[in-house]
Amino acid sequence: MTVVLVALVLFPATLFGYQAVRTRAAGVRVIDVVARVPELGGFSPDRLQLRAGETVRLRLSSPDVVHGLTIPGLGVDVGEIYPGKVVEVDITPQKAGRYAFACTRWCGADHWRMRGVIEVAPADGAPGDGDETQPEAQEPLFQRLGLDIDAPRHAARDLPAEKPSAARGASLGAPLPAELADPGRRRALSPVEGFQLLRNSPETGRLDDQTLWDTVAWAWLRDATPQDRTRAVSLYARDCAACHGPDGKGDGPAGVDLPGMQKMRPEMPAGPADLTDPAHMLAASDALLQGKILRGGMGTGMPEFGSLYTDEEFWAMVAYVRSFLLND
Amino acid sequence: MRYALSDIAPIKRILRSRWLQWSLMSATLLFFVLAIIAGLFGTPAGNRNFGIVFVWIVWWGLLILLLVPFAGRLWCTMCPIPAPGEWIQRRSLVQPRPGSRLYTLGLKWPRKLRNIWLQNFGFLAVALFSIVILTTPAITAFVLLGFVLVAIVTSLLFERRTFCRYLCPVGGFIGLYSQAAPVEIRVKDQAVCAGHREKTCYTGNEEGYGCPWMLFPGSLTANTYCGMCTECLKTCPHDNVALFVRPPTAELWQRADRRVDEAFKGLIMLACAFIYSAVLIGPWGFLKQTAAAVGPPGWFAYAAAFLALNLAVLPGLFWLAVRIGGRLSGRGREQGGNRPRKLFADYAAVLVPLGLAAWAAFSLSFVLVNLSYAWSVPSDPLGWGWDLLGSASLKWTPYLTGLVPYLQIPVMLAGLGVALALALSTARRHGQTAWGAIPVAVFCTGATIGLLALYLV
Repeated sequence: MTVVLVALVLFPATLFGYQAVRTRAAGVRVIDVVARVPELGGFSPDRLQLRAGETVRLRLSSPDVVHGLTIPGLGVDVGEIYPGKVVEVDITPQKAGRYAFACTRWCGADHWRMRGVIEVAPADGAPGDGDETQPEAQEPLFQRLGLDIDAPRHAARDLPAEKPSAARGASLGAPLPAELADPGRRRALSPVEGFQLLRNSPETGRLDDQTLWDTVAWAWLRDATPQDRTRAVSLYARDCAACHGPDGKGDGPAGVDLPGMQKMRPEMPAGPADLTDPAHMLAASDALLQGKILRGGMGTGMPEFGSLYTDEEFWAMVAYVRSFLLND
Repeated sequence: MRYALSDIAPIKRILRSRWLQWSLMSATLLFFVLAIIAGLFGTPAGNRNFGIVFVWIVWWGLLILLLVPFAGRLWCTMCPIPAPGEWIQRRSLVQPRPGSRLYTLGLKWPRKLRNIWLQNFGFLAVALFSIVILTTPAITAFVLLGFVLVAIVTSLLFERRTFCRYLCPVGGFIGLYSQAAPVEIRVKDQAVCAGHREKTCYTGNEEGYGCPWMLFPGSLTANTYCGMCTECLKTCPHDNVALFVRPPTAELWQRADRRVDEAFKGLIMLACAFIYSAVLIGPWGFLKQTAAAVGPPGWFAYAAAFLALNLAVLPGLFWLAVRIGGRLSGRGREQGGNRPRKLFADYAAVLVPLGLAAWAAFSLSFVLVNLSYAWSVPSDPLGWGWDLLGSASLKWTPYLTGLVPYLQIPVMLAGLGVALALALSTARRHGQTAWGAIPVAVFCTGATIGLLALYLV
């Protein structure tokens, strides 16, 4: 009996001991993260605790469907995590703070909520001893402006007859008022308000409507670089198209059963917003659109992206969404 | 027509060695422990977990494709589940301790439960949750742990291998299908047993223990309840017990003491073969999703349908077939040995070759598709990134997928052929005309066509 007990104790002890030796020899802490469909738990663990400057190896696997992982704050995107396969990635956060991570492959109805957080504590020693901390995030523009992003908006009535062209607007070279030339101020205005501003300006007041709309398009799209566009196309395809549709019409398959704004405003249609509807989109400021993307839908079914996107990515996304109605 | 394999001297020496069963059980126990550890602590990805790959693919494939059809209850000889309980009960690993008290209350199993109904319901319980069990390493581990704990407790409370005989869900169908196997343990000459007063095959002696399965080998006529532990070969002082090879399915034609609980075992196995084939390897994704998601109302609907098919629909159809056969053969009144229950139980012999063929055909598909994981998983049994044997990076390769239907068809047809012949034989034995067997034959043929349709879809 002693032999059997020793064998039954020694055998497991050997397995765990070997693993401990292997881990020490690897020189990095290994964390196994299992990705399951959100209905069965999502990421496990979904909260990791590291120290600034510490290198950790994430071993990612999935027992069910294809998942993905991105840690935007650390510039990590591992691509697909196929069921039954392991993906390894080493991360070394240099700054203390909180870093969100999220699934990047549609894995189910609640894919958008498959998130986690990496909490990075300062390296050994008191703060100020050379370690860095993530800068505090600035209050979003819509909050600084005191915008109620859920308040009903009057539909725009002054709409362009044809799709405005930023290229035409640029070639015209009309002088932009300060409110439109400064991105910080322009983002607080809707394109319709921009149109009115140009209509009321002595320098541009005599131009025809289409020319003014072309100028609006130029004002709204001129700050977005080709890199911004590329990044936004990729993010839109990954995060938005499933619900809002590849062309922004709100006809994506994942949005079929979502309540949309109807949950808050029964008079509104159900489902994801039609980003190609000029009456509503041209009446919305960039700050409002950023707020919608950042905060998510408050019961509409739209998840929040505030923990995933940088400021640059938000404005790139807004510019991309504008491009459904405004030509480059 | 049978041959006593154990009369060959080297084989006799091995079978009579007390180290045989201990060494087999110890080896499988190590695998068992590894499967549990892998399930509890290893990766939840089944294809990289020793528990899933070596229990539900390798062990199951070996069991249903090789061990049971060709060696009967050989798995029971080496099964690790009863090992800890038996060793505790006997207070010994290998050698018997004559005269020493066994560490057990030694209670007798209640008479009313001395059948395989509990094994039937145990199997149904496992089968109902099997989608989750088969794909979740942790749950597999808990199920295995549960089995061994129940076996230990049973050994401490009841005599001998009560767990194996009356509780083990696996033993139920292994016993049933072992009737088709070409091996058996029987006495050579019953007259020798009649003249042996001590009956040490049942009571035990210094050479070994009395039959742990509570059988008297002298009157053994079926493999169903004999666990092939070989204790009787050791304890018989007259060398009157032997391991025989015989023609496959030999005892199916002879056995006259069939029971309703055994008939239900056969029907349950057939029903589960249908359900598994449709849910696990069928083209209906919603079925698999419903069966896997335990809790929502849809699952309860699936559970109700599962139990109805197992306990009502298929048994009802079979009962109807037997009754109609009785009418067709012109035996309108119950006569002599033709009581409906007896007919039902006797005709259920057809379910042995039919069900075994169905399970073999079903298992061929997923075993061949997934067998290649057996080469990589030993290198990294817990999915922790090891490479003990250098095979961890071997890629998954499905084997013979194009040939699988051509393997399944002859297997199913062979099972059907034996089932039809058995049906005719049963009719004759009961004094019925051939018409008596026709409805049962239709049942068997319909089941075969249904299963083949599932495999070939």
